[in-house]
Amino acid sequence: MKLSLRINGAARQVEVDGDTPLLWVLREELGLLGTKFGCGAAFCGACTVLMGDVPVRSCSLPVSEVGDGAVTTIEGIAGREAMAVQRAWIAGDVPQCGYCQSGQIMGAIALLKATKRPTDSDIDQAMSGNLCRCATYVRIREAIHAAARDLEGPR
Amino acid sequence: MIARDGEITLGLSQPEVGQGSYTVLPQILADELDADWQRVKVRFVTGRDAYKIAFKNEPPVQKEGASMSTTVLYARLRTAGAQAREVLIRAAADHWKVTADQCRADKGFVVGPQGQRLSYGALAAAAAKLPLAASPPLKQRADFALIGKPLARLDTVAKCTGTAVFGIDVVVPGMLYGAIQSAPSFTGSLTAIRNEAEILKLPGVRAIVRLPAVHVANEEPGSQHPGTAQSPRHNAVCVVADRFWQAKRAAEALDLVFDPGAGGDLSTAKIDGLLQTAMMADKTVTAVETGRPREILQERASSIIERRFTVPHVTHAPLEPVNATASWKDGAVEVWGPIQAVATCQDAIVASLGIKADAIKLNVTFLGGSFGRKIVPDYVVQAVHASKAVGRPVKLIRTREQDLRHGIFRVNAGGRFRAVLDQRGYPLAVQARVVGQSLFGATRKSWLDQTPEGAWDESMVDGIYNQDYRLPNFLVETVDTPLPVPVYFMRSVGSTAAVFFWESFISELAHRAGIDQYIYRRELLADNPLALRVLDAVAEAAQWKSPPTSGMARGISYNCYVGRGGRFRTYVAQVVELEPVGDRLAVKRVFCAVDPGLTVNPNTLTAQIQGGIGFAMTTALLSRITFANGGAEQSNFLDYPLLAIDGMPEIVPIILPSDRPPQGFGEVVLAPLAPAIAQALLLASGRRIDSMPLPAAAFRRPT
Ligand code: FES
Ligand code: FES
Repeated sequence: MKLSLRINGAARQVEVDGDTPLLWVLREELGLLGTKFGCGAAFCGACTVLMGDVPVRSCSLPVSEVGDGAVTTIEGIAGREAMAVQRAWIAGDVPQCGYCQSGQIMGAIALLKATKRPTDSDIDQAMSGNLCRCATYVRIREAIHAAARDLEGPR
Repeated sequence: MIARDGEITLGLSQPEVGQGSYTVLPQILADELDADWQRVKVRFVTGRDAYKIAFKNEPPVQKEGASMSTTVLYARLRTAGAQAREVLIRAAADHWKVTADQCRADKGFVVGPQGQRLSYGALAAAAAKLPLAASPPLKQRADFALIGKPLARLDTVAKCTGTAVFGIDVVVPGMLYGAIQSAPSFTGSLTAIRNEAEILKLPGVRAIVRLPAVHVANEEPGSQHPGTAQSPRHNAVCVVADRFWQAKRAAEALDLVFDPGAGGDLSTAKIDGLLQTAMMADKTVTAVETGRPREILQERASSIIERRFTVPHVTHAPLEPVNATASWKDGAVEVWGPIQAVATCQDAIVASLGIKADAIKLNVTFLGGSFGRKIVPDYVVQAVHASKAVGRPVKLIRTREQDLRHGIFRVNAGGRFRAVLDQRGYPLAVQARVVGQSLFGATRKSWLDQTPEGAWDESMVDGIYNQDYRLPNFLVETVDTPLPVPVYFMRSVGSTAAVFFWESFISELAHRAGIDQYIYRRELLADNPLALRVLDAVAEAAQWKSPPTSGMARGISYNCYVGRGGRFRTYVAQVVELEPVGDRLAVKRVFCAVDPGLTVNPNTLTAQIQGGIGFAMTTALLSRITFANGGAEQSNFLDYPLLAIDGMPEIVPIILPSDRPPQGFGEVVLAPLAPAIAQALLLASGRRIDSMPLPAAAFRRPT
């Protein structure tokens, strides 16, 4: 089927089988390869993108259900929270293999949009669906706190 | 390579699986070269002899594993850097008509006697014509400019912007996608496809390819599972389609009939039965015997302390499922993928496709985790066959289900430990028996140690046979129980099981003797200053000598990780702290002291401590593969869960300075974790834990 999607602020036309998960449309039709496949079943968070400000698992969302939702992938992140998160991730040298990190960053951006100064338990709750086999969790937690401090700073 | 503009590109022979080689190895070379770190770039390379390293007793190959990259390449990289610096200086000296010793290197420039400067870029062409000195002088440690500094990783920005190219991200013009459906049993083979015509009509489907059986993890032909005719293999059907989703959907709709083969009755009950029998067997292979352990244990049979333990098979489960892209053309093939061992991969393609090694071009991408899994190239061979069958490039991606069910597993193990104590409560005689599927037996027979009684596999008793504790009468023995389960090296190899058994047994002995766990280990290590140093450091950091706060449970453990062939010795000691969360105890803090030799990069080393302990948490608390009908039962992160952020403890790393060269590090912090947790539970509640994953019930708070 033919669909018109809103991806990273632009209208994109695709022609795909309607049950194709958004993940594969992003990766194979639109060449947005930063969003990863880890489990295909909403267990790992590697495929996390934002729909508006809400994190969604793109591996488990049929593209026909995306409608006119504004989808943001790692390639299209913008705005204060996103930049603070990305800066903190780089400054904290968070990634090891790096495979989960697009999903982690999307999750962290959504968290900071919803909660200005997340506590450790806010982070546990928001981020425990984003698995990291390299267990970079110590640095993920530190980076989220650092980004929150950065956002609170004088501006 | 040094470009005219001074940009330096280093060819990296070692894969980047997350361990930091992409940064640390260039850091070593760039230091000796006196390069400007800001101008250093890295790319992955394959195919030259200089990229090869040897692990144990075999010829050198290009691969990463066994935590060898930094250890083995440290001297070679320094020499290469110094050689290059030397010819650059000579080229500049020639240009200025002065002698080389009047010139010096400075961050990408050569500086002459009058302070004149020439950049490496400008000198590169002339320098390349000069002969290299065989052993150029190396820097003193005090002169290191980069080694020892916590440099940021060179791959971080790409990995935070979604631009790092992993295997799964490779795009080749005209490529199709492949998804497989495999025989459920490890010895299974395909009998029939009942709905082939129907599947071929599904949208996007181009072909259904019956892949030839791929032997897995069999690095030395004939090694796989001696003693069984049930050699595991991977038999699968591949659907090739225009898009991955189409291929996957079609592969899942295939109605396949398989013959389960000789190993079709494999089950967890059967495997556990074999372990229990082997633990009590009369016939064993003696790995170590010092003093008179057998006699003393017999004489003092009534005071023997005995414990038995088991651990299940587990698997690597890197977050990037295995995948590869292959392009077959006129009898030659080009491959792109997350490949941990270039040589092994090339050999496997040669063996399965019957082509010459020089008809294969391999391109290594970033690896989305590996932990040993992506040394085994079964998925690459499958991609090559799929491409050959359809005559187009094919990217074959395993779904998580196919990745886990047809994963490669870390061996199971059982342990039976017996000891008698002397009057002071310290071990007088110890018998340590480890049984289970032998990794070396299954994958590389030449690594086995031969004795008149048979062969033993040092990986089964890693951390036991190479003992730092003072034990006057000591017996180590093993029993191999061959199984048709595809197994391979996994991060920390046998030590995760063996050190869990061993340290738990030492905890038992100290507990029975009524001696503090730290003091007990200290006494057993009294002759070993390097071991004592890490143990004391961790005890001090964790304030072991002060009693734990109310409700807290603590455990302490020690291990020296010895590299294959005795290549390195990395000393590790840990203290874990468990605290009440609701009605349970949870691991809240882990102190980890390490002596890694020279620390090249404290930043990446710290990351390995943090991540290694997180990885070990998963193995200690969550991981278990079970078997039924000849295959694995787990299929995704629901039934094979990984630690999430909410279970991650705070980590307190203590990195000790050392005069030794860099020792292996990627695997070393894993093994001591589980026994330290088990000890904490023993001390807090008297509960004895005899299996991994540590049973959830053991974490209920003592009432
Ligand atoms: S790939 Fe979507 S949650 Fe794992
Ligand atoms: S960095 Fe490797 S999975 Fe997270």
